[in-house]
Amino acid sequence: MSAISPRVALSAALLCFAAVASGAPAQVLDPGYGPLQYKPPAAGSYQLPPLGVAVDGKVLNDLGERLTLYDLFDDKLVLLGFIYTHCSDINGCPLASFVMKKVQGRLAEDTGLAQQVRLISLSFDPAQDTPAALVDYARHFRRPGSDWQFLTTASETELQPILDGYGQWRQREYDSDGELTGSMSHILRVFLIDRQHRIRNIYSSGFLDADTVVNDLRTLDIESRAETGS
Amino acid sequence: MRWILLLVALLANQLAFADETCMSPYMAKIKGQEDFVYVWTLGVEGVGDEQDKLVTVDVNPKSANYGKVVSSLSVGGRNEAHHTGLTDDRRFLWASSLDTSKIFIFDIHTDPAKPTLHKTISDFVAKSGGVVGPHTSYALPGRMMLTGLSNNRDHGGRTALVEYTNAGDYIVTHWMPTDDNLQGAVKSGQFADGYGYDVRALPRKNLMVTSSFTGWNNYMMNLGALMADAEAMKAFGNTVVVWDLHARQPKKILDVPGAPLELRCAWGESHNYCFTSTALTSKVWLIYEDDKGEWQAQDVGDIGDAAKIPLPVDISIAADDSRLWVNTWNDGMTRLYDISDPHNAKQIYSKKIGEQVNMVSQSWDGKRVYYTSSLLANWDKKEPAGPDLQYLKVYDFDGRELKQTLSIDFLAAKLGAPHQMRFGAYALYGEKTASR
Repeated sequence: MSAISPRVALSAALLCFAAVASGAPAQVLDPGYGPLQYKPPAAGSYQLPPLGVAVDGKVLNDLGERLTLYDLFDDKLVLLGFIYTHCSDINGCPLASFVMKKVQGRLAEDTGLAQQVRLISLSFDPAQDTPAALVDYARHFRRPGSDWQFLTTASETELQPILDGYGQWRQREYDSDGELTGSMSHILRVFLIDRQHRIRNIYSSGFLDADTVVNDLRTLDIESRAETGS
Repeated sequence: MRWILLLVALLANQLAFADETCMSPYMAKIKGQEDFVYVWTLGVEGVGDEQDKLVTVDVNPKSANYGKVVSSLSVGGRNEAHHTGLTDDRRFLWASSLDTSKIFIFDIHTDPAKPTLHKTISDFVAKSGGVVGPHTSYALPGRMMLTGLSNNRDHGGRTALVEYTNAGDYIVTHWMPTDDNLQGAVKSGQFADGYGYDVRALPRKNLMVTSSFTGWNNYMMNLGALMADAEAMKAFGNTVVVWDLHARQPKKILDVPGAPLELRCAWGESHNYCFTSTALTSKVWLIYEDDKGEWQAQDVGDIGDAAKIPLPVDISIAADDSRLWVNTWNDGMTRLYDISDPHNAKQIYSKKIGEQVNMVSQSWDGKRVYYTSSLLANWDKKEPAGPDLQYLKVYDFDGRELKQTLSIDFLAAKLGAPHQMRFGAYALYGEKTASR
């Protein structure tokens, strides 16, 4: 079992303590933070039917370079997670980055698979998540030499078609005075994308854990090897 | 400092969360009081426009429209409107129909007070390879898992699960295991009937569980004729199937005799079990993981006098897994069970709701309980006419007894026969009620 990052663990522990002290029910951490409670099906023993096209879009990487998603999809198996760096829901974006970091660790132990996989975290808050902000965020998660891209967009105009294409809904939240809080309601979505740019799985809270994701990546790898005879 | 702010935000979020208790476990949540209840309503001959419709009722006591029907959206014709389900982001409500197999997808987020028809799926039978009677629409990440009740070969009970994307595009069909094709599942008892009804999941255990009812031939038949037809009465499901959720592969077929219908899984982190009730044998059943990690089925309680055929229908589990509401359609009763020991369900309260009662939904805190009356068009009672025949009724529950706060006579209001209810709230979409 991988440990929860110090930041997340600290926040979760403080949260649980504070909730108990207040008499409120303790926050339940998503199962993705802990070990699997079951033996997952073996890679290649199940199907991952296509769920539609993973759309293209204009993005900026953390160096500020203009790219398209398809440039980055290249000929890779892609794990694409939508985040924003100010996300305060412990079972939302922090879970996505936590699990992708665990996946990164697993891939480091399987260089053959690692060469075929690219991790992408794409912000849906371009106003706050500048390329520089992503560099700061990424240093807590990305290992040197790891193929993990942290992306944003130049504007809401360039972001919206991507969100529409992936069905990634988000809504800015207001406080009781009607003022923006800086938080956004959204449902966590991480997408598994094959080499033909097809979505092959969608993970959200409760379904996102490193063992499942790595097994799914291996399942797609086995599938593509069978198709090419390699 | 940033992490202190994060902590404050986390606390604010978790203290405000609330939701009804029978949805996907990781679906978006309602914060506090629900604003609306969406009622999927069967059209009835001679009542209003006679069409199936989605009826929206304002149920927020602070609203000027409290207790009023604020929207009624007819879909054209009668399709045997039945169950509904929300997508995982709760932006769309899927409403299915057992006769025509049409699925109506409503946009409930653009204006929660006035849903619009977003899309109609009219080729479910062809796309799914012959599945008939879409029943449950259960949210999984980015997609919907639909149960079927029947098939287009013999209109009997053999059927399948069918997956769609949230956008309404067909993905894949998973046929239920049968004696002819167990698909790798273990048949643990006498039955492997291949029937379907409801579906629920416990993702942390990689569990998907399905129940079994009957096919089109039976659910479209007049109830009196059906009860008198010995052969037809044999064509009811007797199984619950445990599936590998991720692989979508059936693992074990459990005997649960007498048409196990609604499934409700417990919410507690270590509560590895679900409940169902059997329509024909009047029992509460527990589907649970034993000490060895094996899934089992156990009869854990009686529901009324089975000889009088009370006909258990909908059930609703409390958020703390301590109570289970069980409705019995034929006698119009709701019954509350203490399930703090899940292996021993004890009835602790009952109340007559109407001439017939089918669906029950409760708020996350259990303080508000909603009831509707209709079961199936050809099974529903036609008399005695009055406000207790086809209705939506809302009660406050103080832990001891139900006190009625709202009632709408759906026949007098020229709406039809109300079936499944789902809650809506402005807060789901980042808006304050007052902003509307």
